[in-house]
Amino acid sequence: MQVGENRTTLLLLNAAPWVAFLAVVVVFGVLSDRFLTIQNFMNILTQSSHIAIMAIGITFVLLTAGIDLSVGAIMYVAVAVLALFLGGIPVVIAFPLVGLIGVALGAMNGYFVIKLRGQHPFIVTLATLFILRGAAIFLTDTRMVFVEESVMSLGRTSYFGVPWAIWVFAVVFVIAWIVLRETPFGRQIYAVGQDPTAAAKAGINVPRILFSVYCICGFLAAVGGLVSIAQVAAASSTFGFQIEFPVIAAAVLGGTSLFGGRGGVVGTVFGAVLIQTVQSGLVMTNATPYIYPLVTAVIIFLAVLIDGLRTSILDTLGRRKIRVEEIA
Amino acid sequence: MSGFTPRITRRAFTIGSLLAAGTAGLPIMVKAQEGKTVALLFDSLVSPFWVTGIEIMREEAAKRGWETLEAISNFDDNRQFEQVRAMIEREVDGILIIQTDANAVIPAIREANAAGIPMVHFNRPPAESDAYSVAIQADNRAIMRETVQFLVDEAKRIGGTYKAAILIGDLGDVNAIQRRDGFFDIVDQNKDIIEVVSRISTEWNADKAFAGLTNALQANPDINFLVTSSDFLHPQIEQALKIAGKWNKRGEEGHVLFAGFDGDEGAYQRLLDGFLDACGVQNLFLEVDMAFGAFTDLWAGEKPEKLLLDPGFVITQDNLEETRDAMWGFSVWKNQQG
Repeated sequence: MQVGENRTTLLLLNAAPWVAFLAVVVVFGVLSDRFLTIQNFMNILTQSSHIAIMAIGITFVLLTAGIDLSVGAIMYVAVAVLALFLGGIPVVIAFPLVGLIGVALGAMNGYFVIKLRGQHPFIVTLATLFILRGAAIFLTDTRMVFVEESVMSLGRTSYFGVPWAIWVFAVVFVIAWIVLRETPFGRQIYAVGQDPTAAAKAGINVPRILFSVYCICGFLAAVGGLVSIAQVAAASSTFGFQIEFPVIAAAVLGGTSLFGGRGGVVGTVFGAVLIQTVQSGLVMTNATPYIYPLVTAVIIFLAVLIDGLRTSILDTLGRRKIRVEEIA
Repeated sequence: MSGFTPRITRRAFTIGSLLAAGTAGLPIMVKAQEGKTVALLFDSLVSPFWVTGIEIMREEAAKRGWETLEAISNFDDNRQFEQVRAMIEREVDGILIIQTDANAVIPAIREANAAGIPMVHFNRPPAESDAYSVAIQADNRAIMRETVQFLVDEAKRIGGTYKAAILIGDLGDVNAIQRRDGFFDIVDQNKDIIEVVSRISTEWNADKAFAGLTNALQANPDINFLVTSSDFLHPQIEQALKIAGKWNKRGEEGHVLFAGFDGDEGAYQRLLDGFLDACGVQNLFLEVDMAFGAFTDLWAGEKPEKLLLDPGFVITQDNLEETRDAMWGFSVWKNQQG
């Protein structure tokens, strides 16, 4: 009986974000006649693309039961370098260089996470968050930095009627989905997240996997920065500030567990779109600006609550299963 | 005549001695003022307004023979409190502070009061308290009223009805609130021609400003009256209006009546190009002068009012030539042009 109840609750918890999404769409659709339009859907996807790209990166890390709080700082460093030092270089060269910066900073995180095994990645990446944000502020002298028109024009470019940002987001999503679902590397990530000791015993090189996911996360943080700067045209010292909250919330809302081993990029993308849909709906219905932070806080709280409950129920179900087998 | 010996009374001697000492002391006082050390504690240099502000302060301090010590808290109230303590330890003569939070700064004012070090808030006043400090602030509400009034007059001149949007700053920032209130003071009196269809909360965040304006333009493609609470959001506004096909010059079809606030170099360029109709300018030169003047008064033992207001001014397409010299953004723009 208890097992049945738990399974029903689990089902409801898994469905909760989708139900919330549906409710949000219906409510805002009723309140604004322009909300349910293709153009608005494109806008939401465009605006959520950098969050979604970064959230995909953090999904890799969360799947290993890690976390990366430095994504916003990496994003800022990458864009600051682009604006300050790579100004005259064509984007086809500048963008890969910025991506490499992201990989390097992600590698730094990975290295310290592996070397400082006694410390949770939360502490390690909290430290790098401050170091990297400090570095970016040092580089920019806290002044606003501007990118070249060639970068800004990308933010206004569409291919086949679809904005450039959505194309980048789509490519990142497809590659990430294939890597996680169809490759041994992807399966190893899940295995490490489920139980690193068992994964190591099974012959998986756990440090290599951990190092790789932080590199991926750093790379996608830099890509997210590029997508964002192409839209907003200038970066002040608040660029990427506290973006880790919606990024992590997007992944967790989409079903990726903070405790590792469960989730995927489909849910993450959904989570990012849900958050942006709410923001978009609030603006479109001319809601009082005082509500915005409250709504964002409620979303993050719900995401963490749902994940906590889901994990707790899964643990309970796991224990009962063993007991049943013992009796049998 | 030659045998005349003037009789000096004790009283005359005392007065004379005091006058002589006073006269001799004048250069010493001037010298003492010259040797002052003032701490400049900024919470960030996030926009050209602050960057130019600190540059004017350095220049003005150098002119007065003052030494400056600088620190930036990067929006961290606790760090700024520690910076105030450190400056008190260093026994500076005055602390000029730009705090992030109006309430969080009060303990820092108390510490400065206890140490007998004058504190002046630049551009952002602290919350009400019994602690004493002097704040220099632009009369945000009045300047915004005047700016929006110009835009409303333009709207009336052109004719028709208008759909308005405002980009609001951080709701925890008193300047942002006053500018928002100034906007509504005027548009609420003109509801017959102006309908506010969007209030966009930016939290002084460019990303949010861009997304918010894009969404607002999606919901209301006929927005044709736009006011931003800070000029530092112009690049995002330009980008969003370009995407919506509404980035047109004054006089061109589809021009959005557009006003800014601060008076930075980007605003001057956009006024020059004809995209921006009006800009509420904070008189940065005057504000620095008022702040440093407050220190001088405080050192002289005077007790200025707790809040000193900069009346600011509005620069428009109509008075651009004659007003631009007082616009701090114009001097930045001029320097950039070489």
